[in-house]
Amino acid sequence: MKRILIPLLLLSVSASGQSKLRTTIDKQAAAVESKVIEWRRDFHQHPELGNQEFRTAKIIADHLRALGMEVTEGVAVTGVVGVLRGDKPGPMVALRADMDALPVTERADLPFKSQVTTSYNGQETGVMHACGHDSHVAILMGTAEILAGMKDQLEGSVKFIFQPAEEGVSDVDMAGAELMVKEGVMQDVDVIFGLHIWAQVEAGKIGYRAGPTMAAVDILGIEVNGTQAHGASPWSGVDPIVTSAQIITGLQTILSRSVNVTQNPAVVTVGAIHGGIRHNIIPEKVELIGTIRTFGAEQQSLVHRRVNEIATKIAESAGGSAKVSITKLYPATVNPPDLTAKMLPSIQAAAGTDHVVILDPMTGSEDFSFFQQEKPGFFIFLGGMKKGADPLKTPSHHTPDFYLDESGFTLGVKALGYFVVDYMGMKK
Amino acid sequence: MKKLILPFFLISGIALGQTKLKPAIDKQAAAIESKVIEWRRDIHQNPELGNNEFRTAKKIADHLRALGIEVTEGVAVTGVVGLLKGGKPGPTVALRADMDALPVTERADLPFKSTVITTYNGQQTGVMHACGHDTHVAILMGVAEVLAGMRSELQGNVKFIFQPAEEGIYQEGVTSWGAKQMVEEGVMQNVDAIFGLHISSQTEVGKIGYRSGPAQAAVDNLEIIVHGTQAHGASPWSGVDPIVTSAQIITGLQTILSRSVNVTQNPAVVTVGAIHGGIRHNIIPEKVEMIGTIRTFGDDQQALVHKRINEIATNIAESAGARAEVKITKLYPTTVNDPELTAKMIATIESAAGKENVRMNPPVTGAEDFSFYQREKPGLFIGLGGMKKGGDPTKTPSHHTPDFYLDEGGFVLGMRVLSYFVVDYMGMKK
Repeated sequence: MKRILIPLLLLSVSASGQSKLRTTIDKQAAAVESKVIEWRRDFHQHPELGNQEFRTAKIIADHLRALGMEVTEGVAVTGVVGVLRGDKPGPMVALRADMDALPVTERADLPFKSQVTTSYNGQETGVMHACGHDSHVAILMGTAEILAGMKDQLEGSVKFIFQPAEEGVSDVDMAGAELMVKEGVMQDVDVIFGLHIWAQVEAGKIGYRAGPTMAAVDILGIEVNGTQAHGASPWSGVDPIVTSAQIITGLQTILSRSVNVTQNPAVVTVGAIHGGIRHNIIPEKVELIGTIRTFGAEQQSLVHRRVNEIATKIAESAGGSAKVSITKLYPATVNPPDLTAKMLPSIQAAAGTDHVVILDPMTGSEDFSFFQQEKPGFFIFLGGMKKGADPLKTPSHHTPDFYLDESGFTLGVKALGYFVVDYMGMKK
Repeated sequence: MKKLILPFFLISGIALGQTKLKPAIDKQAAAIESKVIEWRRDIHQNPELGNNEFRTAKKIADHLRALGIEVTEGVAVTGVVGLLKGGKPGPTVALRADMDALPVTERADLPFKSTVITTYNGQQTGVMHACGHDTHVAILMGVAEVLAGMRSELQGNVKFIFQPAEEGIYQEGVTSWGAKQMVEEGVMQNVDAIFGLHISSQTEVGKIGYRSGPAQAAVDNLEIIVHGTQAHGASPWSGVDPIVTSAQIITGLQTILSRSVNVTQNPAVVTVGAIHGGIRHNIIPEKVEMIGTIRTFGDDQQALVHKRINEIATNIAESAGARAEVKITKLYPTTVNDPELTAKMIATIESAAGKENVRMNPPVTGAEDFSFYQREKPGLFIGLGGMKKGGDPTKTPSHHTPDFYLDEGGFVLGMRVLSYFVVDYMGMKK
């Protein structure tokens, strides 16, 4: 009994240590709220596209330095990494915020509305924080300020990762999280946490999911080659349009027959099909492009294998051929079930148990997954919708009317702060 | 017995009377061969697109007038109609030639190669008699000369129809051209039967091909627009995917031939020639557009195929929660050689070419607007050999291609068979 009692006592002592820290975090988070909102509005008004977050990065670096942190700039082009060393030994906990904006022209009528324009893919467009990364940066800057003030009580270190180009950069092979990982940012890290503001979840709430949470995204290209013929004598050629139709129809069976849909969903979409120029000419080839969304490496390889088999074999069955190219973009965002279970009390404590919701898997994707491939990581969703609003009527992320309620930011600061001190407390 | 014998005699006497003209036809046709070749080369070197056959029409009209034939110009824009009145009463037999060239740039190295260029659909292109209509005109001019020389003996009239724009006028708002327009302008009103020929670069010189009943397909333009509901490619359940629906429709269209058409009677073809929809990997587009061609052999079959296309497209679309808009534009009807007329005229073709040089053609899925005349009156349309003797039809350049080439050795047979049609038909009808 005694032997059992002692560790129990130790644990609760440590838990009470955590509660004390949580109380400090609560107090400090409320104190920095107006600063966080101010930072966020400034970033919102000065959005920068991926790998061009120069102004944003400078503000972040200056802030972290002022807090006495070791700062590395220019990580993965424009990324900023700050390390806060706690006075006591312990694990290295990473917190991540992404910094980039989108080529979207803001329509919302806000005093801090973006007026920035740029040339993107040869087209003039506005630039806008239409996915809320401005709030991620501001929340993480607030978290840095709070935790820096508790340095003497921290049992471990905190790595603040400000990442560029989460939305992707079209003209480079590698960017954002993947490049940061390649540059070694995760090497001394034990665990990583991150959040995404969510316009369809009420402010004050936190959403999460254990296991596969956001999809892996791959780009699909299929070129179906036939043999050109006059439209009036199809027997003298091989019709790539009929073959493409059979392939598209065949692709539907991946979900209906091949994927175990009781485990995880998946999506295969052909987004565009182009072939032929005239009524009466059977063209030589048809081009299909699409997107593949999967939730885990095994499922992803199954879907890729089936896409290849279906396209090439159906084409061969018609006497044609199909060239399949699949480009992997981001892997699935998977929250490890044991880490998620361990950290659930932290978000419940931050938001209140009744304000924590389990989300459906999302077929959108997030390059936080690259960090998770290195070390256990937990990614949550922070409410950014006005209380009582209808999520179906709230403008989606990436749209010109995207809008965030700022009252949930403090909860974001608290949740990230709790993750750090709770994880350090457990690892003791 | 006498009473029976008398009419019998009369008929064969008359038939013989017209048949007697055949040696004269043979002689005359051979005599003008070099003129016909010269005309053909001149027209070949000066090709004109549909409804622009001004020079060609003038040449024809001058020739017919010089032969003492009544001429009407400007029929269906640039068409020329000549009426040769025979010395004796009888039917009016029409002979038709089409005059237009194609927007194709000639590649063959000929002394009379076309160097004409024009702007077609906003693009610079050569103009070429890449379907042999130049030979049709020259042959029919020759026939006019042959028959004009024996007018006093002809038991009926001959109408020479030189038609523009057989290859079609594809301009917004133009719904009638060529044979259809000539019929609308009344060219077939006093005609009893019509004959025509098409030179073929895949048939040996000296040979004639024919087919009784449906011989060349009806052609219709097909357009299907599938309307879905746009969605993000990662959340297809929030939209209706018109690409998957279009794929199902195209697959469904294949069953028209495999399940609905009685293929023991006549073939048919349904082709989707182009499909376009979508702009990005990860957006499910709002709509997909498909265009295609329909080839059928007969009004009933055509109606069946149209009905099935409509049913398949609209119902498959509805099954997906989408909507399909189907538009079918009829271009040319089926070229149907009247079986009775064909049966009667086989002996004529055989006497012109020699029995061993006449063959029955399979149905051809290419179309011909001669069909519009046949909808008015019985008509027979035959194929005349234009390939060098011993040539390999699979290696000979097809019609409508830059290397299209004709051996001129078959023109005399063309003149003879058309002239034989006239005199034999007149003999039968008496």
